Amino acid sequence: MRIGLAGAGTMARVHAAAYRRMGAELVAVYAPNRAASASLAEAFDLEPFEDYRRFLDAVDLVDVVAPTYVHEPLAREALQAGKDVILEKPMALDAASGRRILEAARSHRRRLFVAMVLRFFPQYRRAAELVRAGAVGRLGVVRLKRVSFPPRIDWYRDPRRSGGAIVDLMIHDLDYARWLLGDPVRVFARRVAVGEGEHVQALLRFPGGALAWIEGGWAYPEGHFRTGFDLAGDAGVLEWRSDDPPPVRTVFSDRAPPPEVGLPMAGLEEDPYELELRHALSAIATGAPFEVAPEDALAALELALAVRASAEGVA
Amino acid sequence: MRVGILSFAHVHAEGYAEVLRGLPGVELVGFCDPDDARAGRFARVYGLRRYGSAEALLAEGLDAVAVTSENALHRPLVEAAARAGTAVLVEKPIATTVEDALAMRRAVEAAGVPFMTAFPMRFSPAVRAARAMILEDRIGPVRALVGVNHSENPRRHRAWFADPELAGGGAVMDHTVHLADLYRWFLGEEVAEVYAEISNPFDPEVEVDTAGLLSLRMAGGASASIDASWSRPAHYPRWGHLQIEAVGERGTLVLDAFAGHLHGWTAGGYRWLGYHPDPARAMWQAFLTSVREEREPPVTWRDGFEAMRVALAAYRSAREGRPVAPAEL
Repeated sequence: MRIGLAGAGTMARVHAAAYRRMGAELVAVYAPNRAASASLAEAFDLEPFEDYRRFLDAVDLVDVVAPTYVHEPLAREALQAGKDVILEKPMALDAASGRRILEAARSHRRRLFVAMVLRFFPQYRRAAELVRAGAVGRLGVVRLKRVSFPPRIDWYRDPRRSGGAIVDLMIHDLDYARWLLGDPVRVFARRVAVGEGEHVQALLRFPGGALAWIEGGWAYPEGHFRTGFDLAGDAGVLEWRSDDPPPVRTVFSDRAPPPEVGLPMAGLEEDPYELELRHALSAIATGAPFEVAPEDALAALELALAVRASAEGVA
Repeated sequence: MRVGILSFAHVHAEGYAEVLRGLPGVELVGFCDPDDARAGRFARVYGLRRYGSAEALLAEGLDAVAVTSENALHRPLVEAAARAGTAVLVEKPIATTVEDALAMRRAVEAAGVPFMTAFPMRFSPAVRAARAMILEDRIGPVRALVGVNHSENPRRHRAWFADPELAGGGAVMDHTVHLADLYRWFLGEEVAEVYAEISNPFDPEVEVDTAGLLSLRMAGGASASIDASWSRPAHYPRWGHLQIEAVGERGTLVLDAFAGHLHGWTAGGYRWLGYHPDPARAMWQAFLTSVREEREPPVTWRDGFEAMRVALAAYRSAREGRPVAPAEL
């Protein structure tokens, strides 16, 4: 299965490295101009394309890792051309656009996997499994945190092109809350500007009375990214935070410069991006269902849009 | 100084008794408590003299008393202390209604008696260091506050905490005021608006809320949240947490007031055993010093009142499904 990357930015590099580690047949990269894809093409020995049609002819599966605002045309054209598609999250900027992508997959009978990578982070997955197994009883209050620094790439910082921090970043935890508790019945959110970034706190209420508090944003100084969860049930609690010491640490005098976009990493061999792509390729090859359906990705997007509307004071 | 304890209803009274017995120059004269079983227990545990009524204890001519009855029963004790001319340290929340809180103010003002609200976290070294960093502008203007003051279900220690009449509510009434007070104290401004989701996911046997999440807007525009849930299980290594993160323009401050602890594998299983000084001791020292020197107590009736109004606004918000200004109450 020949895989091509549609996009040549931060996520393209992360996915390319994961494909290489798993020995997948990654062959091509598309970017609207050659300069954008040159270094990626060279680093991973890929054939670069400037023409999307010709790129589609050269691959069997398209991994759309381009900026969010071009997801829909790239994904739909690939599906139309008969290609299976892996689509980076958030799947689209608005629900109608997300629905059109889903509809394209349906009508052309192609597989569509939306890369909701948080579900492949081992600590989040383990916690969800423990909750399902009843380890903490019935969930009562769920706390989820994901705060990073403002990305240094223009389109991320433009809410018209990225959806802003709620749609781009908080969507992970909104999806996780849905995974644990289903669809909320009510949402209330406050957003404040922090320097050039933003900070959001959202309250969710679920059927049966469970509550969730979700914090997200681009509000920290450059290089800092903190995540965590606290899942309280009527019989116990599960806690994890990125502030906790990781399995491997180094103590050096010099500090590496921060990346352009904060990405949470699980560390060690359990790279969640690799786990996610492995799962997608395997499910596509065997025809098995995806562990996170595109309908879930769409529901997470709709929830993110509801949180954003509340934060903007739109009823 | 001669001090008394008006009721052992609140769990904090036990800690205060320990503190007062250890403070130099302080004589813990005795206590009153209408509950015979409870009174018998604490008379034994602390070797304290029990008085038949608040009036009998106050007739000893005390310098100060702790009012640590059930939340809804502070008012008659404060009024009795005011009549006796005795300074009061009133447990949080200072009352369960605006009416009671205002009546207490009238009583102490008319008698010229000092009133201090018991917010011990203002005397935690970690909390003071965090506030100092904000006041010194180390993180820049604060745009968001994230607060956690969750705990185990106190009903296991005192049933009245889950009695809506005596407690005035559940987890939200119990916990909201600590963080509401610290937010006011950190930023020097009032809470302008409260939205709350309140629920009872943790204890089907009680009528009150066991979980509450509050979303606040501070007067200066900062967004703030409070988790006031009784969400820690009985087998949690400690009663709970008090944590605040302040997101500023130039950096973020992370406060975990009880982070200083030993990992203890003791007879009771795994426990977090704190090693920092008890903030309640510093609170009592500050209160008694202010009484002795005839200065205004460092935490006022107004502080207790404003924090209580945030909790009351949370309940109204949950009832009416809209953001509520504490000033409406």
